[in-house]
Amino acid sequence: MNTAQQTARVGLFFLLGVALVWVTFETLSNGKIFAPKSHTIVARFDDLRQLKAGDDVLMAGVKVGSVLKTQLAGHRGEAVLQIDSNIDIASDATATVAMSGLIGGNYVSIGMGTAGLPPLMDGAEIRTVESPDLNTIMAQLGGLGKELQSSLGSFSSAFNGDPKTGGGIMQKLDKLVTENTARINATMENLQQITDKINRGDGTIGRLLNDPKLHDELLATVDEIKSAASQAKELVANAQAVIAQVKSGQGALGTLVYDKKAADDIKASIADLRTVSDKIARGEGTLGKLISDDALYNSAQITLKKADRALDGLNDSGPITAVGIVANALF
Amino acid sequence: MNEPATSACSKTRNPFTGVEANAVGVRVDAISKKYDGVTVLKNVTFDVQPGEIFVMMGPSGSGKSVLLRQISGLEYPTSGTVTVDGMDPCLEETRYRVRIGLVFQAGALFNSLSVYDNLALYPREHRSGGEASIREKVMHALRILSLEDAARKFPSELSGGMKKRVSIARSLVMEPQLMLYDEPTSELDPVMSATISEIIATLKNEYSVTSLVVTHDRALALTIANRVGILMAGRLVTLGTADDLRSSTDPRIVDFLNPKIDIEHPRFKKLEAQEKDTS
Amino acid sequence: MKRIVSILEGVGSVVQLLVKSVSYAPTLPRQWARFVEQCYLIGYTTMPIVSILSFFIGTVLALEAGYSMEGFGAKEYIGSLVGLSMARELGPMMTSVLLAGRVGSAITAELASMTVYQEVDALTVMNIPAARMLVLPRLAAILVMMPVLTVIANIVGWFGGAVVARYVSFVGISSESYFAALRHYTKFKDVIYGMEKAEVFGFVVVLVCCNIGLSTRGGPREIGAAVTRGVVVSLILILVLDYFVTKVLM
Repeated sequence: MNTAQQTARVGLFFLLGVALVWVTFETLSNGKIFAPKSHTIVARFDDLRQLKAGDDVLMAGVKVGSVLKTQLAGHRGEAVLQIDSNIDIASDATATVAMSGLIGGNYVSIGMGTAGLPPLMDGAEIRTVESPDLNTIMAQLGGLGKELQSSLGSFSSAFNGDPKTGGGIMQKLDKLVTENTARINATMENLQQITDKINRGDGTIGRLLNDPKLHDELLATVDEIKSAASQAKELVANAQAVIAQVKSGQGALGTLVYDKKAADDIKASIADLRTVSDKIARGEGTLGKLISDDALYNSAQITLKKADRALDGLNDSGPITAVGIVANALF
Repeated sequence: MNEPATSACSKTRNPFTGVEANAVGVRVDAISKKYDGVTVLKNVTFDVQPGEIFVMMGPSGSGKSVLLRQISGLEYPTSGTVTVDGMDPCLEETRYRVRIGLVFQAGALFNSLSVYDNLALYPREHRSGGEASIREKVMHALRILSLEDAARKFPSELSGGMKKRVSIARSLVMEPQLMLYDEPTSELDPVMSATISEIIATLKNEYSVTSLVVTHDRALALTIANRVGILMAGRLVTLGTADDLRSSTDPRIVDFLNPKIDIEHPRFKKLEAQEKDTS
Repeated sequence: MKRIVSILEGVGSVVQLLVKSVSYAPTLPRQWARFVEQCYLIGYTTMPIVSILSFFIGTVLALEAGYSMEGFGAKEYIGSLVGLSMARELGPMMTSVLLAGRVGSAITAELASMTVYQEVDALTVMNIPAARMLVLPRLAAILVMMPVLTVIANIVGWFGGAVVARYVSFVGISSESYFAALRHYTKFKDVIYGMEKAEVFGFVVVLVCCNIGLSTRGGPREIGAAVTRGVVVSLILILVLDYFVTKVLM
C-alpha cells in the first residue's frame, strides 16, 4: 500500500473518531457548550435529600434544566438550578424536590405559577414547598392509623355512652323505658281494668285483648333492639382488632413497603370498614336504622303515647271503637 | 569490476571529497569482557593509529566481534577503557563528532526498508542535504558495490553476500571517519572480496579513514593490513606488521597462518565445535 | 531476589526509555511519515477487532443485566448499566487488552527481532537512537489513536446492548427506554474519564512492549519469549493500573 493511501486512511479514521466523540458529546451533554445560554435560579430547601448536581429540573414533567450544584446556605440546603433560557418561570411558581421512584433519583419539580406574572430573573430565588419524603409518609401512615383508632373509639363511645354526658343510645333506650315505667304501669292497670271490663262484658273484645300477640310483638321489638346493640358491640370489637393489625403493621415498616399483600390487606380492611360505616351512615341494616333513624325513637315514644291516649279514650267510648282506635294507633 | 570502483573513488565527485576527515585514532586499554561469568576478552591492549588499517585476526569464537562492539560503543567493557579520538564511544556526543561506520557480519540491514531506504536512512535522519543530493550519494555507493539493480529490493530478497555489500554501502554513505568491519569478505566471491579490499585501501589511502578489520581471511589481512593483531581465546597473542607475522616462528601463529587440515587433530575438532556454537 | 532485581531493572529501563523518548519529542514533526504509519497499524487495523469485541461485551452486559434485574423490575436501568460500565470501565479496559494482544505483541516482536538481528545496534552506531526512531512515533500514535478506539468501543458496545435489550425476549425493553436510561445516567464526563484511563493503559502497553522488545538478548528463539513476556506484562499492568488510575481519577 502506498503512503498516500495509508495517510488517507489514518486521516479518515481519526476524523471518524473525532466525529464519534462529538456525537457522544452532543448526545450525552445535549451540546452544552453551544446550547443557548441558560439562566440560574436558586431554590432553598430545609432538606435537599439526595438531590445532586446533574439532576433534572422538570416543569409539568418536561425537562427545563438541571441542577447545577447543591450547597449549604446557612441552615438550609441550596440548589442552584440551571434553567433553559427560553423557559420563563412565573415569580409565584414553587419548587419541590420530588422522587422519581423508590430507588430512583430525585428531581426538582417546578409549578407553573400564575401566567402573566413577571418571570424570575437570573439568580433570583424561587419559592419552595417542602415535600414529604418517604420516611415522613411512613410516619404519617402511622398517625393515620392512630386517628382511625380514636375515631372508632368515639364511634363505640357513641353506642356505649359516657355516663357524664347523658349516655349513648343504649342508655337512652334504657332511659326511655325507665322514664315511662309509670305510664306503662298505668297503661297496664288501665288494660287490666279494660280486661276486667271485657271479661265481664264483651267476649269479642276480651278475646282480642286477651290475644297475647300484641304483647309478644312489643317484646320482640325490644329483643330486636337488644340484639342490634350487641351486633354493634361486636362490630366495634372487630374494628378494634383491625386497628390493632394496622398498628402492628406500622411497626414493621419494611413489611409495609415491600409486602404488597400486607398493604393490600390494610387497604381492603379500611375499605371494608368504610363500607360498613357508609352503610351505617346510609341507614342500612338494623344498627344503621337505629342510629340514623330518629323516627324509630320518636315513633316508639309516639306509639306509647298513642297507646296511652287510646286507652284513656277507651274509658269514654264504646269498646269496639276503642279497639279500633288502639288497632289504628298501634298499626 | 575493480576498475570502476577504484576510479569512482578517485573522482572528486565521490561522497567523501567534501569532508575534511580528521584521521581518528582508537585506543584500547587493558579491556576485559565477561558475559554471565564467561570471560570473552582478557586484558586486551592495542591502539589503531589515525589513518592506518589494522586487521585483527583470529579463529572463530576468539572474541573478535565482541571487541568490535566495545570499540563501536555498543557495550561497555567489564574493565579497562576504550577511547575513540580520545572520547568514550558509548556517548552520543562522541558519535556526533566522529562518524563511525560498522559493517556487521550478518549485514544488520533494516528489514522493513528497501535497500535504497537502508542507505538513505542516515543522511535523511541527520538532514545532510536534500533528497536529490542524498539520492546521488546513495546511488554512488550502490554503484561502487555493484548494487544498482538491488536498490528497490528488500533485504529479505538478497543473498548473504549481497546483504554484506549493502551493509558496506550503507556505511560508506555515512562518510565515516572510522570504519569497523566485521568479517567483510565472508560469504563473498573472490572478485567481490578483491573489490572490498580495494575499497578499504582506497578509503585509507585517499581519505585517511581509519579502518579496523576483524577477519579470519588471511589473504585479505596480509594484503591490506598496515598492522595485524592475532586474537586467540580472548587474548591478544601477537601484534605487528604483515611481514613480522610472516617471519614469525611462534608455533601458534605459524599454525594459524598455515593451517593443516588434519581431521583427527583434537584442535580441529575443538574449532569445529566452536564454529557450531557461534553460528 | 534475582526476580526482584530483574523487575526493578525493568522499571528502571522503562523510565529511562520514557525520558529518552520524550526528550526526542521535538523531532516528531520530521518523523511524520513514521507517525502516520504507526497510527495506521495501531489504530486503523485494530478497529475491526475492537468493534467486534465491544459489540459482544455490550450484548453480554445487557443480557446479564436483564437477567438479574428482571427479578426486581429494574429492567429500565439496563441502559444506564451498559452505558456507564462501557464508558467508564469496559470500553477502555477491553480496548487496552486487545491493544496488548494485537499491537503490543506486534511491537515486541518487531523490536525484538530488530534487536536480535542487530538492526538496533546498527541504528545506534549510525547515531539514530532507537528511542527516537522506533519508540517515539509509536507513543505519539497511541496517544492519538487510543481515544478514537475507545469511543468506537463505547458506541459499538452501547448499540450491542440496545440490540439485546430490544430483541431478546425476556429482556424486551424498547430501544427508546434503553437509550433514555443510558443518556440519563451516562454523562460526557464519564466518556472522557474512560478515555483518560485508556490513554494511560495504551501508553503503558506500548512503552512496556517497546522496552521488552529492545531489551531482548540472545537468538531468534528469544523473540517468541519476548512477545509472550510483553503481552503478559502488559495485561498485568493494565489490571493493576486500572485500580490505581480509577482511584486517582475518582
